[in-house]
Amino acid sequence: MNVSASLSDLVVERVGFGIFVLDRDMNVLMWNRFMQDHSGLSAEKVVGKSIFANFPELPRVWLTRKLESVFQLGSFAFSSWEQRPYLFKFDHDRPITGGVDFMQQDCTFMPLTRDREVVAVCVTISDVTHVSIVQREREEAVAKLQEYADRDGLTGIANRRYFESRLRDEYTRWQRYGGDMSLLLFDLDHFKKINDQFGHGVGDTVLREMAQRVAQVVRVQDTFGRFGGEEFALLLPCTPLEDAMQVAEKIRHTIGDEPVEVQGAHVPVTASVGGASARVGVPNYDVLINEADAALYSAKRQGRNRSVAFI
Amino acid sequence: MSEPVLNEDRRDALQEVANLAMGQAATRLARLLDTFIELSVPRVQVVEVSDAAAALRKMTGIQETVSAVRQGFRSDIKGEALVICRSGSIDQLCALVNDPYPRSAYEAVSQQEVIFDVANVLIGACVSCILEQLGRTPVFSAPGLLGESMSLEDVFQPGLLGWEVALLVEVNFALEDQSFRAHLVMLMAEESIVHMNDALDALLSSL
Repeated sequence: MNVSASLSDLVVERVGFGIFVLDRDMNVLMWNRFMQDHSGLSAEKVVGKSIFANFPELPRVWLTRKLESVFQLGSFAFSSWEQRPYLFKFDHDRPITGGVDFMQQDCTFMPLTRDREVVAVCVTISDVTHVSIVQREREEAVAKLQEYADRDGLTGIANRRYFESRLRDEYTRWQRYGGDMSLLLFDLDHFKKINDQFGHGVGDTVLREMAQRVAQVVRVQDTFGRFGGEEFALLLPCTPLEDAMQVAEKIRHTIGDEPVEVQGAHVPVTASVGGASARVGVPNYDVLINEADAALYSAKRQGRNRSVAFI
Repeated sequence: MSEPVLNEDRRDALQEVANLAMGQAATRLARLLDTFIELSVPRVQVVEVSDAAAALRKMTGIQETVSAVRQGFRSDIKGEALVICRSGSIDQLCALVNDPYPRSAYEAVSQQEVIFDVANVLIGACVSCILEQLGRTPVFSAPGLLGESMSLEDVFQPGLLGWEVALLVEVNFALEDQSFRAHLVMLMAEESIVHMNDALDALLSSL
């Protein structure tokens, strides 16, 4: 820059975003300092040559088309980092904390007109790396919140709201495609006594331990949730009632075979299980829950520590 | 209301300006896209913002949900332009610029990028041509998606806008051999209508 440079020349030179100008044949007419600093190529090297001579990796068809639309319509064109993360492979100033490979860029293509004729196109490149990072962090936070919203706070397994939404979806799928699906409800026997005898802290530990034990034996496609208090539910897609009752027995043993060790005390725990299967004539998933609940009640009445199927 | 926002002479003049501009825009779009896009005669109307959705429903006959992309334009006359189409027609809208992207598999383009490109091209051509007729060279902001499946009422939420009266210019696009339509809506607030009046007066007195 010489002493006769105008103020606008000085601004273009120093401004914190990329500015360059292309003619209709994609030759570079102007190249500011930002472009020079980030590309490592000076204006002397770039100006007067096709942009693709120095940047063969640029998307040629896409860029040519953008330029052409500006020349033909005399209007603007844009490119956002959300659809196209970057045009130039520039580094950015968050190499350690950023987690993105190249500077994220928003590009604007502006017509430069003389007497209503577009004589050239000015391209500006804004560094929006920080925006993209903030947005990614926000998306991750929302995903985490969503995850928490689906979990039971004490046991970490699915909460009732999430369980029922999965049950509803699975039930709708069953209505449309048929096949099998079963539901187990189970309840820790005499849980109130455990709370009274050992205290609520121990009761909570028992709930956590039981949830963990059962979670380890269910299949990945099953949904295991806490229904409230000491009541749990297991959704078994593609499973007929007979198989579901085998699962019920397995769970009963998983819970009852080993007492829970809490603060040096052995706490014996057993469970009662009720099972039901979707079948023609069951109008909605609420009825399925009621049937499993009736079977569970029956297991309790028959003396607990057993599993009963609704038939 | 003491005086109509846009008197009859000016409304006629704006209609004429818009007609001319659409002819020009159609020519430019045909050259760019290699397809002839039919542009309707623009409909110009001053509406209360609270009536905008209803007015647009009447103009377009759209009952179902729509996809809408917005873009701001700015000179002393400034406002927002929207491209609206039925949610199910988005593929047809994108097909307007299907060339030459599919042929360059190595330069993959997401559908969202195509949607923005099409909206930007349609808005750019029409709004620039109208404002050029009025001696203005607008600056545009980047396009943004308002929604992919929304009702017209959600597009114009009166509570969110800081103004009450809008100048609505509606143009619809159709491809020669297809039933598909997209709509361009240009909205300008009261303040811009004043500048629009000045521009129209200047134009009328120069005739």
